[in-house]
Amino acid sequence: MAAGAADQPIPGNGDPISEEEALRRIRLTDDPSAQYYAAWWLGRNRSSHPEAVPLLQEALRQRRPRDPGAGVEENAVARNAARALGKLGVPARAAIPDLLATLEDDDYGLREAAAHALGDLQAVDAVEPLRRRLASGPAVAGAQQPGTPRLQEPCEALLEALGQIGVAEPAVLAVIEPFVVHERPLIRSAACRALLQLTAEPRWGDQLVALLQHQQLHVRRAALMDLGAAGWREALEPIAATLAENSLKLIALRGLVEQPGRESGSAGAVPDAATVAVLDVMDALL
Amino acid sequence: MNEPDVNALVEGVQRADSAVGLLLATQALAASAHPQAAPCLVEVLGFNNPGAAVAAVDGLIAIGEPAVDTILTLIDGYNYGARAWAVRALAGIGDVRGLEVLEDALGKDIGPSVRRAAARGLGQLRLEVLEPQPRRDAAERCLQALLDGCRDGEWVVRYAVAVGLELLAPAVHPHLAEGPEPQQRLHQALLGLHLNPAEEAPVVSLRAALALQRLGVRHG
Repeated sequence: MAAGAADQPIPGNGDPISEEEALRRIRLTDDPSAQYYAAWWLGRNRSSHPEAVPLLQEALRQRRPRDPGAGVEENAVARNAARALGKLGVPARAAIPDLLATLEDDDYGLREAAAHALGDLQAVDAVEPLRRRLASGPAVAGAQQPGTPRLQEPCEALLEALGQIGVAEPAVLAVIEPFVVHERPLIRSAACRALLQLTAEPRWGDQLVALLQHQQLHVRRAALMDLGAAGWREALEPIAATLAENSLKLIALRGLVEQPGRESGSAGAVPDAATVAVLDVMDALL
Repeated sequence: MNEPDVNALVEGVQRADSAVGLLLATQALAASAHPQAAPCLVEVLGFNNPGAAVAAVDGLIAIGEPAVDTILTLIDGYNYGARAWAVRALAGIGDVRGLEVLEDALGKDIGPSVRRAAARGLGQLRLEVLEPQPRRDAAERCLQALLDGCRDGEWVVRYAVAVGLELLAPAVHPHLAEGPEPQQRLHQALLGLHLNPAEEAPVVSLRAALALQRLGVRHG
């Protein structure tokens, strides 16, 4: 996961607004900066208003081919709309066909945002198109585009989405595996995370733990987030000992506590001993 | 360690001309845990070098109470980053003189990492050194600040508030507080954190449940 994604700054003017105001601004099709903020707001605040999803679908359709000379970049609205849809849960599943179409867009950033959202929504229908985009492997899909730091495909987002959706078919695993030796450590981290989520095999967790020792801070941060997303309990001590900010370690450890299947949904639940061990480490990092 | 040795270590910090050099010199000075190191360690908090600042905070906590006046005197003129580190040091030292800074930080600071440190710190001030009435007053201020913190927008701060409330519990025991009312408010706050249907972070609810269990409060 791109480090810092958890605490992205508030875009635009960042003024506090009501849900009603956000729903008004998202309709302002001739004011992209108002729409941009409104789309972000609806996702950030997990709006459950019945109009939120249809309006975000509208905003997602409001995109056009990239034109660097056009001033305001309208795809920015569509990107935020896609991201927001990913955060709105079950009601946003109605937008999965729109997101699948967005995954085929020529704009790299839009494909990336759509992949994130499809992963967040655990859209099983997205597995095949996601797999297809990665199928050419690190040498093609994972090759750097000339003149930019971007790869041909937004591999990190595509890999993460496959892990999050959770379809552990051999054809899916076979496409992900080659990326664990990609030249970029962040791609390796994303691939290991997805494989750990899909197979729970310790070897992928061990590779992520090894990345916690990487000499670059941004790689250590990404490995922290990935271990947290996979909820890999065996990483408790290595996470605590990683040279990185306590804020990120706390986010990762939260993931260990809340890992799927361990969650204590019921209100009366008391944490078990293994969970208390994680909470004790968290307490010490505050 | 005697004074000339500490002065040599302070000089080492002042002479450091690289980020790594500053980190190593600060670690050496912090390890002395000598009260004379405090002003220099507080100065390091303002250098915008996170590694060195962590070492300086550890050193100030190791010095403990003799560092508190220095911190309180020096932080006012400092930048935001330095104040944030100072809050962490005051939270770790646990001296009552830090109460006002911690209250202020939990209630108003823009940085979640500062608010979470303050929340934990408000639970671990050493109130037992005070006379009964000032102790009750200070415990009440800690409790009120933490109750307000239950509504913080960041999960990690609400988590730290649950931890702070658990740590504060002995100080509001009916025996000390002249009545059951403060303890009841503390328990209610933890129940609120535990059962809040709008809580987006299960870990917060779980931590509050653990606190209630440790305090022997029936819940759920």
